[in-house]
Amino acid sequence: MITQDLISFFLFSLLYLTVTIPLVLAYRVTKVINFTVANYITYGAYTAVLLDYYMRSSFGHNSLLLTVLSSFAVTGLIAVLSNLAVFKPLAEMRVKGDVLMIASMGLWIVLKYVLYIVSDIASSAWRTNLVSYSQIHYDDISLLTVRAGLVGVQQSLVVFPLLALASMLILYLVLNATRVGRAVLAVADNSVLASLSGIAVGRVVSLTWFLTAGLTSLAGVMWTTYSGAITPEVGDSLILQVFTIAFIGGLSSLTRTAAGALLISGVENFGTDLLSTYLGLPTSIKPMLTFTVLLATLIVSPPLGVAGGVPYRFTRGARR
Amino acid sequence: MIDVLGFLITLTTYIGIYLVLSLTLTLEVSSGITNFGKVAFYGLGAYTGALIGTYLPLAITGSRASPFDVNGIQLLYTISKSNPVLDLSVFLLSLAAGFAVSALFGLLLTYPIHRVGSALVGFTLLSTGEVLRLFYLNTEPLGESKGFMGIPNPFAWLPQARGAEALYLIIVWCFVGLTYFIVSRIMNSPLGRILKGMRDDELVALYAGWPTPLIKSKVLALTSGLTGVAGVLWAYYFTSINPNMFTPSLTFNIWAMVILGGIDSIVGGVLGTVLLASVDYAARFVIPFIGTTLVTPDYLRWIIVGLVMLVVLLKKPEGLAPRRGGVSKL
Amino acid sequence: MRLTPASLAFLLIGLVVGLPLGYVFSTTTSPQSTGAPQAGQAREYQVGFTLPLSGELSSIGKIWEKVVYLALDDLNNEVKAYGFNVTFKPVILDDGTQDDKALANVQSFAQMGIKVVIGPAASSQVKAVKSFADANHIVIISPSSTAPTLAIPNDFIFRTVGSDAKQAKALATLAYTQGARTVVVFHRNDEYGNAFADFFTRYFSQFNNTKVYDLPYQAGLSDYTSEVNALASKVQSTGADSVVLIAFDTDAANILAHAAGNSVLSSVRWFLSEGPHGAQELLSPTIGQFAQKTRLLGTRPLFVHNPLYDEFAKKLKEKYGVEPTVFCDTLYDAVQLAGWAILRAGKYDGDAIRAALVEVAKHYYGPSGWTMFDENGDKAFQDYGVWAIVKTDQGYQFMDVGMVQGDSVIFTTTPYR
Repeated sequence: MITQDLISFFLFSLLYLTVTIPLVLAYRVTKVINFTVANYITYGAYTAVLLDYYMRSSFGHNSLLLTVLSSFAVTGLIAVLSNLAVFKPLAEMRVKGDVLMIASMGLWIVLKYVLYIVSDIASSAWRTNLVSYSQIHYDDISLLTVRAGLVGVQQSLVVFPLLALASMLILYLVLNATRVGRAVLAVADNSVLASLSGIAVGRVVSLTWFLTAGLTSLAGVMWTTYSGAITPEVGDSLILQVFTIAFIGGLSSLTRTAAGALLISGVENFGTDLLSTYLGLPTSIKPMLTFTVLLATLIVSPPLGVAGGVPYRFTRGARR
Repeated sequence: MIDVLGFLITLTTYIGIYLVLSLTLTLEVSSGITNFGKVAFYGLGAYTGALIGTYLPLAITGSRASPFDVNGIQLLYTISKSNPVLDLSVFLLSLAAGFAVSALFGLLLTYPIHRVGSALVGFTLLSTGEVLRLFYLNTEPLGESKGFMGIPNPFAWLPQARGAEALYLIIVWCFVGLTYFIVSRIMNSPLGRILKGMRDDELVALYAGWPTPLIKSKVLALTSGLTGVAGVLWAYYFTSINPNMFTPSLTFNIWAMVILGGIDSIVGGVLGTVLLASVDYAARFVIPFIGTTLVTPDYLRWIIVGLVMLVVLLKKPEGLAPRRGGVSKL
Repeated sequence: MRLTPASLAFLLIGLVVGLPLGYVFSTTTSPQSTGAPQAGQAREYQVGFTLPLSGELSSIGKIWEKVVYLALDDLNNEVKAYGFNVTFKPVILDDGTQDDKALANVQSFAQMGIKVVIGPAASSQVKAVKSFADANHIVIISPSSTAPTLAIPNDFIFRTVGSDAKQAKALATLAYTQGARTVVVFHRNDEYGNAFADFFTRYFSQFNNTKVYDLPYQAGLSDYTSEVNALASKVQSTGADSVVLIAFDTDAANILAHAAGNSVLSSVRWFLSEGPHGAQELLSPTIGQFAQKTRLLGTRPLFVHNPLYDEFAKKLKEKYGVEPTVFCDTLYDAVQLAGWAILRAGKYDGDAIRAALVEVAKHYYGPSGWTMFDENGDKAFQDYGVWAIVKTDQGYQFMDVGMVQGDSVIFTTTPYR
């Protein structure tokens, strides 16, 4: 079943890239190791779920474009608000990175259960089950596939490349072709220098939160066309893979991150199948593979920069 | 009519086990080890205890029954009720083994975690916890998904359930006292100040000549061992364990307790733990009488916990009971 | 006096522990504690419930909560009609499908003076509460625990549903009579899935010319793509003609949605356990079409064409607007049994209720059929129905299409053409 594996590998690589590239960029600007990335994915998916249920019952149609725009707005807004309420005050108190991470953990818990409550209330108000929702079909994508003569093709095969490409394109254009984008890059490199050269760092940070969170939410929308059952655990169950990839990239290098995304996606999709077919191992070991790759990466090639351990940060090549 | 004595015994047993976890976490945090994998060592201790507690009595009594069969489980219940000496010695052996295995594992883990920054340490340990859980889930001698059942309560031979509970409570609190003693001695000693320096700036500590990796390894080995004993206590209290008891949410709960009271103060950690554990247990006596709710109380509980964590970090970062002048005392 | 952190701590702890205690003292000083009831005075019994209102089983837990209220209403009306001046009140706690919470719930019930607890849902949770329940003489009635390792005689654990061993036999019979010869059992790697798969393998291998391959998957993931691909490889390499899926609701929906996009898996037959039955996600067009294509069938504990079940389903729909999912009928009967057992026992005491429960179950017939217990306190006689996903005017729907009787399957309707 090498073709099926290849398709899943392709789709998951795109999914991981859509999450991890904004994550790494966000880290370089905000310096927060951010648990709430899980919430961004879930909120993206659930904006799609709520919108789908509402539009289908009211108008009988739904639309990917509208879903993407609302997911982006909702998630981006949450990120900006959480920055204003939590991360900005903490950064002004000059706390350590660990404290920022722990704060993001607290925020992650709050947002996660707020979503549970929202979907519970919506479920009982609409007398349906939104806590576990079936796969969504978007009418504008069906229209598109029919126009393109791709009848019967699964929507995920269209939506994944479409949204992943759009995400990369937006990121590339904003960063390279706009003034504010170059300001973002400047802050990412050195925020002190950037502020000295007259960049309004606070505003740039806010923009980064909005942009990266919004782009992350696209992964949630992608997920709704792919998974057979959408639950409020979507983001949480992807988070360990996502951070594994980000750590392989050392939270700094975009190329290494991209390589990490391909590596993890490949290990999960080909590894599981090969091990089960040729060695007779149960497929239940799949999550173990991911973590083994993480531990192996850390041991074989410890990350540099802030992600590295202090005693080893400067002694690479001349290890004791 | 509420059984007040029973309520207090149950509550203080839970508090005691959580206290061991939060006290050791306080020591870890104050040495700059962001341990998001508390559950890994806890689970390892619990499994070590369960392994000894079930296989050993069966082997000693010469039974060939597997501890996963109904026969074996029933035999375990019979043995624990009829043989106090064997029952207690198996328990004591488990405590020692739980400490040894978890401490050794903690020591081994320091190899990869020295190589990464503090944030990644957290995730590495978190992942390790998940790997261990999946390992239990896929290993036949550990009962796979069934887990262990019939782990003998060390006081099962007492005729009254209440007596067994009270004695177990005393054991738990003896161990809490020991943990408190060890942790407070370390944190209030010169070593404690080195640890604090290491947490605030590892680079400076390193250049001041302190072998930070070595110190960290020792701390992690010690705290992991103590956490392992807490796991053993949990397994024998529950008398049945399975892999799904050891999910990361347990770790986050302990973190919430510690942050609530003040990240690196012992009194704070104790306070946070007692508060959260008491609210959790006592809430069961109130929630059913509020009437049917649209909102699941558990979700609300987590939202409040998360919000309290944020408020504490923002408004009172030193916690409810801060550590004073590098020395904390009750 | 200066307020030191330590004294503040003790003050807070005192408040935290004291307030709820005081509250409960004032609210739950029920007639039970006032000695013998006087004539004419209504007596109130509390029954504890530990239900999965959050966590993995939350979608069915929410429906169960409604079944509890329905069952207690019916029970209270019925005992009134018999002339008992008694009401039963539920005390419902959420256990989040977690073992430690289930134990803490049962402990707090015990401390409230409650002797009968219905739930918890999962077998691992029942195991966690067993030792406490036995030591403190609390009767536990689980409506849905099916693990064979809990079939222990003379304890305080009762189960109003048959063991998985029996259903595995029913599913094996269904698969064999439907022409399956080489099957891959794709199952959750948890207690439920593993035990079910073991028994299925044992019974299916007893038929002639059969081959069984076993493939567990990790439960609780967000997605099962690579697992489904591995399944497809397995089906192709072994030349299997059928897949047996032993799953819960969310994972089954996910797996079936991915299988629908796979040509190999769309060309074999699918047989399912009771776990996914009733899950709304399975009624999506993707899975509905897939079910028609693969002529998907499943078994579930059910007394087919039981008029009481139909009445129960109708009442639940009328009152709360929900369809009964899996184990709703066994939960309903558990509540009824608990109530009548308390009355028969004559006193609110664990040992007396346990003895009475066994007797009451022999004389009770409800939506789940005849509830008599075997020597291990498990349902002695369990029948299994066959369910399918059929296309109706309102989209795809679940339908009970037949029953398994011994070595044969009787279809009452033809689900697929």
